[in-house]
Amino acid sequence: MSAIYRAVQWNRHKRVYDGLLALGVVGFIAAFFVVSKLTWTGDHAIADEVLILRGVGVAALVLLHIILCIGPLARLDPRFAPLLYNRRHLGVTMFLLALVHGLLSIGYYHGFGVVSPIQSLLTANTRFGSLHAFPFELLGLAALAILFLMAATSHDFWLANLGPRAWKSLHMLVYPAYGLLVMHVALGAMQSERSVLYPLLLGAGVVIVSTLHLVAGSRSHAPRHEVHRPGGDWIDLGDLSDLPDGRARRVTLRGAERIAVFRHGDRVSALSDLCAHQHGPLSEGRIIDGCVTCPWHGYQYVPRNGQSPPPFTQRIATYRVRVDAGRVWVHPNALPPGADVEPAVMPGSDAPAPPR
Amino acid sequence: MAETQAQTIATILQTLAGIYLSGGLMFAIAFVTRGVGTVDAAARGASWGFRLLILPGVAALWPVMLTRWGRAKPGAAGERQS
Repeated sequence: MSAIYRAVQWNRHKRVYDGLLALGVVGFIAAFFVVSKLTWTGDHAIADEVLILRGVGVAALVLLHIILCIGPLARLDPRFAPLLYNRRHLGVTMFLLALVHGLLSIGYYHGFGVVSPIQSLLTANTRFGSLHAFPFELLGLAALAILFLMAATSHDFWLANLGPRAWKSLHMLVYPAYGLLVMHVALGAMQSERSVLYPLLLGAGVVIVSTLHLVAGSRSHAPRHEVHRPGGDWIDLGDLSDLPDGRARRVTLRGAERIAVFRHGDRVSALSDLCAHQHGPLSEGRIIDGCVTCPWHGYQYVPRNGQSPPPFTQRIATYRVRVDAGRVWVHPNALPPGADVEPAVMPGSDAPAPPR
Repeated sequence: MAETQAQTIATILQTLAGIYLSGGLMFAIAFVTRGVGTVDAAARGASWGFRLLILPGVAALWPVMLTRWGRAKPGAAGERQS
């Protein structure tokens, strides 16, 4: 969230994260190589070059599964949220592994002919009607192109200059890429391997990713506090004592507009539940250093005006809020992003109560 | 026959991709050198590490960035989409 773009905004958390990632990737590929050498021996031995390119490819696929699971896991259990902060590093690493796998594969299988490797890749196998001999490499190539676009736009510069909607749409292509890669493996490596372990592992991966998404999706659409009020009426959120300090309650209006009502000390403020960065759920965050802090990437907003602290310029809508007879009330009409709203003061506070 | 057709299609695709990406790379070099600060104020004074990092994306999405550069006024702060 820097005022001037940097290549990577390093901090201790990211260094630890990336260090563990590098160790994990190297360790996985090494273990894959060693186990494969021990498993396939004699007449069934596989060339070292093939083992390496397979190991790198499998590492990329496993990493993709992890990446796809992080989002729903973070929604289901906030303890997984730290994994979400640096997910783009996982994504770029996964693309680089996939790129190495692709280059090694093209070089090994298409690099020693009379035509160029790319020409060979595109024309060597055109049996699109065959399941057993399907040109699965082309599925991998298509997935690699998508992953390249995603990796190349994994920076806040792109979020700002493509716009959140276009950027998010581009990055949702991870799902078609995942489908292409599942088919790449199913119609490729699995056609030549007899062991039932491969389809089981691949199937398990698909089931886990799908199940987590379905469960997280069903929970995120269940509002914490659904209100059915005609426009203009104040909304009763309930008892003030139910609102923990530094935390929020979420109000979902008809039309799916969401409001996060935060308590900060003896004050209560209401602002849009959608983070300006990637629409993360602010109500699932908390107050840190006096600011509402998004649980996804740490973007912050001053509670009373929905503005990011200087020198940052993000703004979100605010809402009027009051405390009356120990109950919290919020008005559903959104004020312009960055509009200053006097916080409601809790009873018994020394501060003067705001006018109604 | 089918093989010749496939080779022809592959050659066309390769050629088109090569032209697109070559043009994109040339544009990207010019953009990260001179244009990025015009399009986005937060990129002014940014390090070469950042500029190299966005170069592949600019090469791939050069029509979009060319349009934004063409619309941005020189010297004015680039309007950030929120």
